[in-house]
Amino acid sequence: MKDVLDTLEGWNAEGLRFATATVVKTERSAPRAPGSVLAVSEKGEVAGSVTGGCVEPAVYGEAQDVLAGGPPRLVTYGIADEEAFEVGLPCGGTVHIFLGMAERDLIDELASAVRDERPVALATEISGTEIGKQRIVELNGHFEPAIDGDTFFLPFAPRPEMYVFGAVDHAGAMGRIGKFLGYRVTICDARARFATRERFPDVDEVVVQWPDEFLRGAPVDERTAICVLTHDHKFDVPLLKVALETPAGYIGAMGAKRTTESRNERLREEGVTDEQLARIHAPIGLRIGSRTPEEVAVAVAAEIVATRRKAAVPA
Amino acid sequence: MRPVDVLVRAGELASAGEPFALATVVSVRRPASARRGDRAVVTAGGAVYGWVGGSCSEPTVVREALAALADGESRLVSTEGSCASEGAVEILVEPQLPAPLLAIVGESPAAETLARLAAGIDWRVTRGLDEHADAVVVATMGRGDEEALAAALAGPAGYVGLVASAKRAEAVVAALRAAGVGEDALARLKSPAGLDLGPIRQEEVAVAILAELVAWRHARTPSAPPPEETVDPVCGMTVSLASGETFVHEGTTYAFCCAGCRARFEADPERYVVIGA
Repeated sequence: MKDVLDTLEGWNAEGLRFATATVVKTERSAPRAPGSVLAVSEKGEVAGSVTGGCVEPAVYGEAQDVLAGGPPRLVTYGIADEEAFEVGLPCGGTVHIFLGMAERDLIDELASAVRDERPVALATEISGTEIGKQRIVELNGHFEPAIDGDTFFLPFAPRPEMYVFGAVDHAGAMGRIGKFLGYRVTICDARARFATRERFPDVDEVVVQWPDEFLRGAPVDERTAICVLTHDHKFDVPLLKVALETPAGYIGAMGAKRTTESRNERLREEGVTDEQLARIHAPIGLRIGSRTPEEVAVAVAAEIVATRRKAAVPA
Repeated sequence: MRPVDVLVRAGELASAGEPFALATVVSVRRPASARRGDRAVVTAGGAVYGWVGGSCSEPTVVREALAALADGESRLVSTEGSCASEGAVEILVEPQLPAPLLAIVGESPAAETLARLAAGIDWRVTRGLDEHADAVVVATMGRGDEEALAAALAGPAGYVGLVASAKRAEAVVAALRAAGVGEDALARLKSPAGLDLGPIRQEEVAVAILAELVAWRHARTPSAPPPEETVDPVCGMTVSLASGETFVHEGTTYAFCCAGCRARFEADPERYVVIGA
């Protein structure tokens, strides 16, 4: 929905009424994930999409009906396999779409919360007696859209954090692909000469500080990715010790097998358990034969995706 | 040609997307005609621009350059023992291969996202089918997947991938098979494209595909067969048949390290041809 908020604010400013169609659930694979929104203004303008073109005409018709005073509704485009091609869903999935009128004040409030990166969720009653009611609620650890009883929660979480330690070439490449994956990227290094804006113009923040000190004061939740590229026990050992005390969803550290072993030995001496050590992805990144810093960044990004999607990491 | 002119020449070749190898003298034991830092560019056709030593080094450098272009690996080569003088040089030979060309077919969000990401790791990206593409990813979301895949599989691209759900991918493969696409070609198809990371969002799908492309790039068998090598029948040096100094005698092609060896062979082939070899 984030992609259409600007347009919706614009319609609000023009005083236009509009209906929204929101994907609340998909079965098997569908072209667009839950939370995708198609909005239709009373002038017939359209923003966003719910399937990438397949069922949009039908959804547009439903939205017109809602704009004309029809009740809010939950519609399902269930595509039997043999009909997949006929109806036009390229993947033969099923989508559940909720249609209702959007409240003007609520949209403005949502847009400003998203701009300020405040953690909120849009709660919509999609069934039951209150159907169509919307309110903004606190984001209580729900980072993915979900249906709970009659309510669909659409989270607007601030970008997850990616902390990249070590102001090396790989860090720049890592930062770029991290931004691509939607992270707010910070590069941190204790050496002021290397950790400069000039070297890393693409990332959100460049910090000159001892890595472990920085991480101790930085916000970390289970979506956070920590990439340790410093490759120096002096920095790595205290940093990883702090990282393992956080709920970070991904911790990866650079270093060949032997470096990793000697670093693990040092961490054990510091009281870190084997169970904790198992959280560290080392050597960092999937084994895909990467050579350039850009390719290493792809390997790490792939490992982060696999980790956050709980997939079995391919050998 | 000064060493820096060689770098200018290398830059021109790189800009033109031509493969070449850069040879740099890194150590010298006198007496030798090359100095540390001397450079040459070797083209895929075996032509040499620059100076890395004369007939003692050039045949070795050309042979190793062509081998490097075939397997993509840098190597350090020595002219030890191949020179009449007692000197020897060590030369670093680095292949410079053009970035792979990725053709992305389709106007879908997945196609757009992959194009952005691939350009970010320095692949050359083209939209739509391209007969020179090393890899083709089809992501039309059902608007012509089968046609694009059939065309890509008929071409030389080493990687052909389809962006689709597992179920849809199955249907597309069945359609291709029904349309007469052979099993060999279908075996080359990555369907669905991308490492199985459980990706959900477009960006994650793009990362999974790019990771598979990187793995494919570095695991693939050399695109060009390694250059044919033979032994100079006059001096005994290992040389490449592509070195240019060749001579056909009684239906057999002989290669030589230099024009001198070839001239001696031409004057009296029987003296050098090993009977029964």
